Amino acid sequence: MTDGPVLVVGGGPAGASAAASLAEAGLPVLLVEQRDALGGAIHRQPAPGHAHHIRLPARHRRNWAALTARLSTTAGRIEIRTRTIFLGVDGQGRFLFDDRAAERVFACRPRAAIIAVGAVETIRPFPGWERPGVMTAGGAQVLLKETGRPPQGPILVAGSGPLLLAVAAQLAEAGNPPVAVLERGRPWRAPGALAQLGLSGGLVGEGLGYLARLAASRVPYRTGAEVTRAEPQGDRLKVVIRTGSAEDVVQVRHLLVHDGIAPNRTGIPLPAPDAAVPVLLAGDGREALGADAAILDGRRAAMQLLARFGRAETTTPAEERGLSRARAVQTALAQALHAEAAPPPPETLICRCEGRSYAELAALPEDASAREIRLMGRFGLGACQGRFCGPMIAALRGRPMPAAAPPRWPLRPVSLAALARLTTDETE
Amino acid sequence: MPPSPSLHVAVVGTGIVGAAAAHFLAASGARVTLLDATGPAAGATGASDGAVSVASKRPGPMMDIARHARAFYVRCEADGLFRGLFHRRSTFLVARTPVEAELVAQHGADLAVAGERVEEIGRAALLARIPGLGESVCAALEIPDDGHALGYEITERLLQRSRVAIRRDAPVSEIVTQAGRASGVAIRQEHLAADAVLVAAGIGSSALLGLGDILIPRKGQMAVTDRAAAGRPAIDGHLMAASYLAAKRGIVRDNAHIGLVIDPLMTGQFLIGGSREDHRDDHATDAPTIAAILRDALDLYPPLAERRVLRSFAGVRTASRDGLPILGLHPHLPGVAIATGFEGDGICLGPLMGACAARLLLGVPAGIDLSALSPQRFASAGGRP
Repeated sequence: MTDGPVLVVGGGPAGASAAASLAEAGLPVLLVEQRDALGGAIHRQPAPGHAHHIRLPARHRRNWAALTARLSTTAGRIEIRTRTIFLGVDGQGRFLFDDRAAERVFACRPRAAIIAVGAVETIRPFPGWERPGVMTAGGAQVLLKETGRPPQGPILVAGSGPLLLAVAAQLAEAGNPPVAVLERGRPWRAPGALAQLGLSGGLVGEGLGYLARLAASRVPYRTGAEVTRAEPQGDRLKVVIRTGSAEDVVQVRHLLVHDGIAPNRTGIPLPAPDAAVPVLLAGDGREALGADAAILDGRRAAMQLLARFGRAETTTPAEERGLSRARAVQTALAQALHAEAAPPPPETLICRCEGRSYAELAALPEDASAREIRLMGRFGLGACQGRFCGPMIAALRGRPMPAAAPPRWPLRPVSLAALARLTTDETE
Repeated sequence: MPPSPSLHVAVVGTGIVGAAAAHFLAASGARVTLLDATGPAAGATGASDGAVSVASKRPGPMMDIARHARAFYVRCEADGLFRGLFHRRSTFLVARTPVEAELVAQHGADLAVAGERVEEIGRAALLARIPGLGESVCAALEIPDDGHALGYEITERLLQRSRVAIRRDAPVSEIVTQAGRASGVAIRQEHLAADAVLVAAGIGSSALLGLGDILIPRKGQMAVTDRAAAGRPAIDGHLMAASYLAAKRGIVRDNAHIGLVIDPLMTGQFLIGGSREDHRDDHATDAPTIAAILRDALDLYPPLAERRVLRSFAGVRTASRDGLPILGLHPHLPGVAIATGFEGDGICLGPLMGACAARLLLGVPAGIDLSALSPQRFASAGGRP
């Protein structure tokens, strides 16, 4: 299969950039996106009937406009399929997709694949994180982008990382500033890392802009503070906050938590640039470096593939330099915000799909196999198949979650009837 | 004969059979070292349905032994060992064509001859028990005394109760002999001395004992759905299609054949299987096979259309050339016992077979007729053991 399309999975900045770069070089591309429109988490479009209220920083808007323009210029060579969810690769190398509009699963054998499925949010679990009213800050941000409306009632934003500031500022902009932003780290105690960040330009400007927006709405930004417990109280959440050795309690309607992002690798095939059907990863799904780097990384992956097909030089020094800079920023951020993690209380829920606690995780043998963790522990066995709980489990056990071998599909729950209606591009 | 207090047995394989053997050996005072190339229930035990079913067994010794094995589950449930892990439930043998109806009737007659309770159930009565059943179902039998247990849960319980330490990541490469008798096993560079060795390593037994022309890997692909009910089986029994009986009775031998079973798990999920792919020992699943299984399952039980598939997976059954398990002392190598070749019946047979293997090693009569399973049958036919 030499003239089939190159598959690009994910229509965020990395996938769009990869697709445009491949199409510009003359290759046909199949670009699949799980949502109704391209854009990824950062450029999530409003749901039908909702207006766009969340304005991203100008840099991001310009970047996306440029990518969209490149995609329209090369539209003749790019087939875009939206509402199409990547289900993984089966044991015979078929790439599987859930076509939600057609209500059927289709399989294809592309010429090559670039997988750009973004990152997953991570959280540090505490008792009550699974309660109604608690959600991830990134999830809340996506809802805000889709509906233009912030959650109603008092909101607390807690965890670690720059996303806390962005979400809080966007909530303020949308008319419901949070009661506080709690940052677990103590960046002021890491002046070296802060100085490093100061040299990084755009990102720091963005962060300062958010801080200014929060100051204008009188939203306190507390560092060295973390949530240790949340429990329902009427239609509110009682949230216990620890700052050093002091504890205080706030009552809120919504608690938004976030502790960074990690590449979404659960069930994703391993990169195999030299295989008969080359597979490359790109964007936050390869290395979580953020939206600017994702555009470079999508182009880097496309160039690598073009080189493999003898259509371009292998080296992409401009992209590599940009990625190095982004990596330096992320490293400095991680240093500035680093906070030691104590094990959570035993009753803390770890797997919300199957209702499994930290005590049950800790009871597993240290060298438990992937199958023991799944079958005996019942971790990673539910609807998320470990996509959300996997990084938590890895962090708590201090070792990577052993991968199921071979990788399991479907990556997402899929309608049994749709899977039974499987169609393939094969002539069998 | 009381066991020698110093008897040390190396059990190779920590599936349901190895775990049961270790448990009953330890209970009799033997010292046991339990070894597995990866970890407990890593093979077919952890990748199978939960049918403790006589209904599916081939007439003859298998059917008889399965009745003993199921009774053993009932006893272990009653005495506490398997408490909470074994549940009685009916198996429904269902036919969707006149030819299948004949097969089901024949199988029902064979079960009755073996002493099994078999009840004819008309379409209307069956629909009352399992609402939504497909229109193509034209005949069915109920086998009311069958049961359900999950192999990995039984394995875990056996290991917990016996307190036998298991050595993970301990691949046995060789059985070491001294003066014509097993003296231990080799694990990488290590020699582990033992008075006797039990090989219960599924398809891994093949390389260890040179059974390559006797044991056949048979891959089965399956799918698991989301919950149709909360914390209880979603339907009142195990659905076993005539296509499964046809495979078990050796009427169909075809790698594309689906022997359909729909197993309602205690979690409210469904486990749906499966393919029967001879000479395949990988754990990969492919979309066309899974889709074929699901289409067949939808025909038998259309309400599955409301479910979502959470995962697909494959297990590798170890079948012997003649379709019967291999259980007994090695014909040429004193100090070695073999327990493998349970094909898709290891969950049903495993605990009893492990207990019988323990008795053989201890020199105690097994208590049931296991002559049909003896490895001797391959020795006389010119096989290697």
